[in-house]
Amino acid sequence: MELRPILSAMRRNKVGAILIGVQMAITLAILCNALFIIEQRVALSKRPTGTDEANVFVIVNQWVGNPPDLAAKQQGDLAALRALPGVVDAVASNSFPLHNGGSTEGIKLTPDQKNESALTALYFSDEHGLNAFGLKLVAGRNFNADEVTVKMGYTDFGPPSTIIITRTLADKLFPGKSALGQSVYFEGLPKPVPIVGIVDKLQVPWTQAGGWGSKFNDNSTIMPFRFVETYTDYIVRVKPGQIAAVMKAAEKSLIDLDRARVLEKTQTLTEARAEAYQDDRGLAIILGVVCAALVAVTAFGIVGLTSYWVAQRRRQIGIRRALGATRQAIIRYFQTENFLIASAGAALGVAMALGLNLWMVTTFEMERLHTSYAVIGALIVLLLGQLAVLWPALRAASIPPALATRAV
Amino acid sequence: MLRMSQLSKAYRTEVVETFALRDFSIHVREGEFVAVTGPSGSGKTTFLSIAGLLEEFSGGEYQLDGVNVRGLNDNQRSRLRNEKIGFIFQAFNLIADLNVQDNIDVPLRYRGFDGAERRRRIAESLGRVGLSARGRHYPAELSGGQQQRVAIARALAGSPRLLLADEPTGNLDSQMARGVLDLLEELHRDGATIVMVTHDPELAVRAQREVHIVDGQVVDLAPQPRLVSSAAAHL
Amino acid sequence: MFTYYFSLALRSLRRNVVLTALMIAAIGVGIGASMTTLTVFRAMAGDPIPNKSRQLFAVQIDNWGPRQGVVIGDKDNLQEQISYPDAIGLMNARAAQRQSAMYATGFSLIPPNPELRPFVVHARAAYADFFPMFEVPFRYGGSWTAADDAGHADVVVIGRELNDKVFGGANSVGKTMNLDGHDYRVVGVLDRWQPTPKFYDLNNNKYGKSEEAFIPFTRAVEQQLGSWGNNNCGGDTIPAPGWEGRLHSECIWIQFWAELPAPADAARYRTFLNNYAAEQRRLGRFHWAPNTRIRNAREWLAYRQAVSTEVRILVLVSFSFLLVCLLNAMGLMLAKIMGRAVDIGVRRALGASRRAIFSQCLIEAGVVGFAGGLLGLGLTLLGLSGLRSLLSDDVNRLTHFSAIDVAIAITVSVVATTLAGLYPTWRAVQVQPAWQLKAQ
Repeated sequence: MELRPILSAMRRNKVGAILIGVQMAITLAILCNALFIIEQRVALSKRPTGTDEANVFVIVNQWVGNPPDLAAKQQGDLAALRALPGVVDAVASNSFPLHNGGSTEGIKLTPDQKNESALTALYFSDEHGLNAFGLKLVAGRNFNADEVTVKMGYTDFGPPSTIIITRTLADKLFPGKSALGQSVYFEGLPKPVPIVGIVDKLQVPWTQAGGWGSKFNDNSTIMPFRFVETYTDYIVRVKPGQIAAVMKAAEKSLIDLDRARVLEKTQTLTEARAEAYQDDRGLAIILGVVCAALVAVTAFGIVGLTSYWVAQRRRQIGIRRALGATRQAIIRYFQTENFLIASAGAALGVAMALGLNLWMVTTFEMERLHTSYAVIGALIVLLLGQLAVLWPALRAASIPPALATRAV
Repeated sequence: MLRMSQLSKAYRTEVVETFALRDFSIHVREGEFVAVTGPSGSGKTTFLSIAGLLEEFSGGEYQLDGVNVRGLNDNQRSRLRNEKIGFIFQAFNLIADLNVQDNIDVPLRYRGFDGAERRRRIAESLGRVGLSARGRHYPAELSGGQQQRVAIARALAGSPRLLLADEPTGNLDSQMARGVLDLLEELHRDGATIVMVTHDPELAVRAQREVHIVDGQVVDLAPQPRLVSSAAAHL
Repeated sequence: MFTYYFSLALRSLRRNVVLTALMIAAIGVGIGASMTTLTVFRAMAGDPIPNKSRQLFAVQIDNWGPRQGVVIGDKDNLQEQISYPDAIGLMNARAAQRQSAMYATGFSLIPPNPELRPFVVHARAAYADFFPMFEVPFRYGGSWTAADDAGHADVVVIGRELNDKVFGGANSVGKTMNLDGHDYRVVGVLDRWQPTPKFYDLNNNKYGKSEEAFIPFTRAVEQQLGSWGNNNCGGDTIPAPGWEGRLHSECIWIQFWAELPAPADAARYRTFLNNYAAEQRRLGRFHWAPNTRIRNAREWLAYRQAVSTEVRILVLVSFSFLLVCLLNAMGLMLAKIMGRAVDIGVRRALGASRRAIFSQCLIEAGVVGFAGGLLGLGLTLLGLSGLRSLLSDDVNRLTHFSAIDVAIAITVSVVATTLAGLYPTWRAVQVQPAWQLKAQ
């Protein structure tokens, strides 16, 4: 391929080539990072909660005023819920995964430790919790009924008798050995709390990318508390396929039991997931649209500018044909020219992509770009250039050699 | 070398069909220097385009160096053009973005010669036209005569069987024109086959024989060069 | 001459419709994308109370002392809220012209109409100064008084929507409202008030709806109304149980704002605050050097990073997109102008000066920019409605497109396109006067 003459000719018409090259570079930089962000957000929104998500719904219950017999009322509610046809189990808790509100606590291994060994989300639940959430116990046992105590709101700091933790938290606190039977300390509580069970997975309630909880997303602790407060969440698990019907029946049965309440929200965990990750999904879609538009604009730019070059070099192309160039040779000329520009643009673009990513890592607390993204991005850009240049190149190839003999 | 028999070239518009060449026959033997003359619009340029395989023809036959041109596809014609013909245009037709050496290089690349062979041929043909010192100059830096000589060098570099010249001195002043004609004559003496299209009778005289075209048809004249005015063209 | 160039520009653009359309489309799409994200960004980063944002200060006091390990709060070891003892201490000190401690809480309201179900009312417990401080507009009545604060009065200021829902929109001043089984007397009804973001409490739904009920802080505390906002008990000691325990603990759950009109007032307050912290140390409550800070509303928003990461990313991406579109347009303009090189040469031969060619080309660029800007405006509206459907409800409040945004869009488009047209124009000006293009 006649690289040197092509380069020489391009050097005499630098600006157009630079314009296309820079466009491709910026496109590549944005494309790489945008695709990376999309992948990150999509992965984020698919993180499993650890519950039997498809069959669990929640009712956010707020009692009107401050009735004195909250504990009894809650038991009445739970009995009614558990009695409904199609219900596997129900529990009252302070939060649930995907709720984006809840409690956090630090865990220590020794009482006089200065700093926490780990942070964990707290879920309060009685012995029905594992079943109501649909969690998978991988070691130890569930709470016994006599281990469950009453926690009267957030200002009751009575200690839990035992706890169940997630596998991730267990590995963090006791790497390499079993956490069962070990004890940990919570802030301000002098007595150690033994671990009696380990569940496979239970996400913290917070879902925001880079937000609270993102660094300890799988650290959860279940405490055996009957959480009595005016504002609690009922978590209900149903048999497969019955969730819509049971939800309606549940609301009705609670209202029938006592009207002096506000059922602020009733939704399935699936709906909660959609709501929790709405912004991530939105961002991914918007970025996708912008990427597509970026590619389109750059492609049209290449088509436009190359068509102009073809028009400008009409005579030259005719001469080349007269001198023996085949149609393919003309097409290859423009393809090569575009490939050279695209390569330079891709090289610049990869550098820009990595630089941009480094800046975003520090500013937005994002992760570093995998080099595979840069490679894929470069390939996309090169392919884009070759496809875009095809039409003008074909037009160029159809310039007749007889043009050379025409007077100017 | 170049044999056309009853060649015709028709341009068809919506209503009319005009013939640029009609029943056109010409036979150029190897080593001849033929001038093709005729008034403007007579079809000389069309003849040259067809002879140079730049255009297709409607009817008749054309044999170039023993190869029957009819029925060749575009790629085959390009190859033939590249290997057998050297062009010298009125407008020089050098590529402004390339220097002299790269300009001469263009047909050699399409030929497929390797780097060493190309460099040898470029040096040789530049020497032939006396422009060895101007290898790296760009066409804009050369005079008209020098540009035409570069074009001739480009035409020669591939060792063509036939040189086709279209008004080679049309854009040059008389002194430069003389230089170019001298060069053409020299090439002829060295054995080249040259077909030169011109409307200038003074140029036509320098050729070996003259073929006169009027209204797309040949009016063959005697082998001796003669000054003919367009009024008395038919004989 | 401008009108002449303008008509020339139009004619030239019309001559090559495809090229012109491509240019306008490129600019339009770029402007559309960037203006869409810019609108949201401006709303998020905007000053919610421009005429007063420099006079309202958020107060921070370090009541936990230096900590290692998990860093809560900013690098300067300060939290975003304060504890109850500090809130009361600061209120009693009366060191600012106006001041208010506050926290988010809420009620359930049983509507008098038995057909309607009870519903939740988001509320804020604050002091009387809150209303004049934040320039909250009233429709009926007004705020409660300092005497009401001191007397723990059962008064409430309600929002316009709540008033519409419960009292049919009438003047309800003097009527009672039953919140969570307790009667409150309505003293004021607010007009529409939606600060974006809710800068006085960025911890709770900062782009959500503003509160529908306001009651005196002292009343809320007496009523033991728990905080519906963020509560952090990160101190070394665990609080005693119960509400009293919460009040005396170092848990932080209260926001504190002070109005300090002049820089001298702010300086004086800073000194006061440090003295207060030093006093706490003397009393044995703090064991570290005073660590306090006040930030005005603007600084507060910047400190708390009011603009979400998602929006920042989108702004960056969309403006890069605009850049690509402008480069594109520059290339197309170059092609267009150089394709007319003969025309330009002839014009110069006929006597047009360099300046004339320059003006003509630049005005052409401006016209393209204007047309692109108009297209971009339409696309921006489309983009904003698209954002609304894709992102959460909170964002809807931010997609309000005002006259200023229109002006920004058109100006950016014209200026950017003209800048992009500078190089092609310069090339056009270089064309030599000639009757026709010479060979090659």
